[in-house]
Amino acid sequence: MQQQEVIARLQDVFDGVFLQEVEVRRELSAKDVEEWDSLTHVSLILAVEEAFGIRFRVGEVETTKNLGDLADLIVKRLPQV
Amino acid sequence: MGAAMDMQSLKKHLDLASPAFEAELTARTTEAREFAEVLQLCTLRKRALMKGLIKGPGKSRRVAIVGGANLHPLVDLFEHFAVVLEGVNCEVWTGDYDNYHAEIMDAESPLYEFNPDAVLLLPSERRCVYDGPLTSPRVEQEEAGRRLAGELLDLCTHVHARCGAEVITANFRLSPYFDPGPMRNTSLISNYAFRKFVNLELGARLPSYVHICDVEFLSNRRGNLSGVDDRTWFESKQPFAAGLLVDVAREYAHILSSLTRAAKKVVVLDLDNTLWGGVIGDDGLEGIELGTTSPGGEAYRDFQKCLLELSKRGVLLAVCSKNDYDKAIEPFEKHPEMVLRLKDIVCFKANWEPKSDNIRQIASELNLGLDSVVFIDDNRAEIEIVNQFVPEVSTIWAGDDPSEFAAKLKDSRFFEYRNVTEEDVQRVQQYKQESERQQLLNTSTDMDSYLGSLEMVGTIKPFDRLDAPRVAQLIGKSNQFNLTTRRRTEAEVLAVIADEQYSAFTMRLSDRFGDHGLIAVVIGHASSEDFAIDTWLMSCRVLKRQVEEEALNEIVRLARDRGCTKVVGRYIPTAKNGMVRDLYPKMRFAHSREESGGVQVYELDVAQFQAKPTNIHVNQEAYAAAGSNR
Repeated sequence: MQQQEVIARLQDVFDGVFLQEVEVRRELSAKDVEEWDSLTHVSLILAVEEAFGIRFRVGEVETTKNLGDLADLIVKRLPQV
Repeated sequence: MGAAMDMQSLKKHLDLASPAFEAELTARTTEAREFAEVLQLCTLRKRALMKGLIKGPGKSRRVAIVGGANLHPLVDLFEHFAVVLEGVNCEVWTGDYDNYHAEIMDAESPLYEFNPDAVLLLPSERRCVYDGPLTSPRVEQEEAGRRLAGELLDLCTHVHARCGAEVITANFRLSPYFDPGPMRNTSLISNYAFRKFVNLELGARLPSYVHICDVEFLSNRRGNLSGVDDRTWFESKQPFAAGLLVDVAREYAHILSSLTRAAKKVVVLDLDNTLWGGVIGDDGLEGIELGTTSPGGEAYRDFQKCLLELSKRGVLLAVCSKNDYDKAIEPFEKHPEMVLRLKDIVCFKANWEPKSDNIRQIASELNLGLDSVVFIDDNRAEIEIVNQFVPEVSTIWAGDDPSEFAAKLKDSRFFEYRNVTEEDVQRVQQYKQESERQQLLNTSTDMDSYLGSLEMVGTIKPFDRLDAPRVAQLIGKSNQFNLTTRRRTEAEVLAVIADEQYSAFTMRLSDRFGDHGLIAVVIGHASSEDFAIDTWLMSCRVLKRQVEEEALNEIVRLARDRGCTKVVGRYIPTAKNGMVRDLYPKMRFAHSREESGGVQVYELDVAQFQAKPTNIHVNQEAYAAAGSNR
């Protein structure tokens, strides 16, 4: 799976977490979304892990600056085919 | 896959502002076990609230949650379960991370300013460890465990003394890791044995205003290892992995609402294919499946054992079955493998009246509210009629695999008593006597609207050669609704088809729950003026569904077609067909004479007969295919 495909699938996850409509794109980050605070962030990451069936390593989500980075990280953590 | 598809339909309900949204939200929430799913349901519910599609429940409670971990998103999940599954709106105050000692001990703390009705406490698991010397004697280890439990209970007592709130505290899950191996259970130094000991201490010394959210059990149930997520602890102080968060949130909500809701008191049981396999009226005492001779029979027996255990705790057992009473009690009296006997049943209703009426009567005879009744049946239509006509009653659909019946009952959560008293143990006997004193009349239900809502479709069709094997089989085994009990082999059925003097038809029935298949067989014999009903049999499963009326409409139509003026019906009594003894008089046939062997003969004037309208939509194509001009 490539970054683009991952971002498209993230739309579903975002729809399940945020009340407001958030259009996912590579440059999107927490500061663009009012509801995206430290509390919803926890839920969002747990939901991402469940949706993709992956486990992040400790501390690594913190290093992502936007959705593009997160998508790259997801790709990296997906089981290799 | 299934879950994702259901979510699509829920989203659609929301987009279209459909009133079906709320029921589906409840159904999905009941099923949901994983975090992302519950979170999404929670989000959809909030959107529906914003749109005005749903309203919050009227009942509201002030709930504070404090603990030794990050309480988000746990508290969000809790709120969702409380609203959707328990009908309780919660105004929530959330404590700070690991600040619960201060929040509870400080009289000026915002916790008490909030003035909660209930306080949820999630004590720090990481401090529930044995920290004494590893070589200390067992008594010292136990003393450490007692001290820890005591400190936690002191906190609970303090909360209650200060603000009167009920306290629901979590206990501790056991470590899922192998370490320290053999010493895990031989001493209390392991996080496994120590926490187990603390949990037992908590339970043994629990004051009445403190309730345990049994995290040890919930974690075991899900799988201890899958409840652990150390990374989310390090990153955001999450107490559990996402799945266990869901379980614990659900349990807090369940306990909160159970504080103000009584447990159920009586379970009403269907008989055929619920307590044993098969139909006692047709298969007889030797034919029903029950006991250790077959795996299925063993499962039914196990289910009965499970019911008997409930009865020992003070839950009353009652029977509500569509059967002749004499037949229905036979297994209870004579079957060697029955676990339940008549003495265990406080109220026994076996008749052909609607179950909704019988259940009302059971509740009234036992002097119990309908909301203390749970009804169990393997038949979805019976469950539906009860849901529709006595919605106060809770129902369990047993399903079609008896090996799952006991588990369904044990997981229903209807009979969770906080303790068992001597009075509970004696209750069964008291109620049985009470029930025997009372004999009340049936109340009747609006059957007609129920039958209309079933959307029944009947297909009436003259016999053809393809039907012969199934028809012969039914003729061979139907005992109860069978007016003449004339047995015919397949070859004899084929002979009837070939003989011009016979008019014979079958009837099939389906409704919105499914297809009942071939459910009636009628063979008529025409000779000059008389149209004699040689055979009329039906499956008992469709009794009281107006199939008899529709069958008679067809019999008279055939008689008219043949130019007959009279329909002649015979009731030939057998040991098993008592239920149709009065069928003909009830259908306005006139009694004509008695023949030898107690055979009763009845007649119906064709000219006087008016077809009775029913709620069954009769499939007209079948008539057309038969070359008829109806």
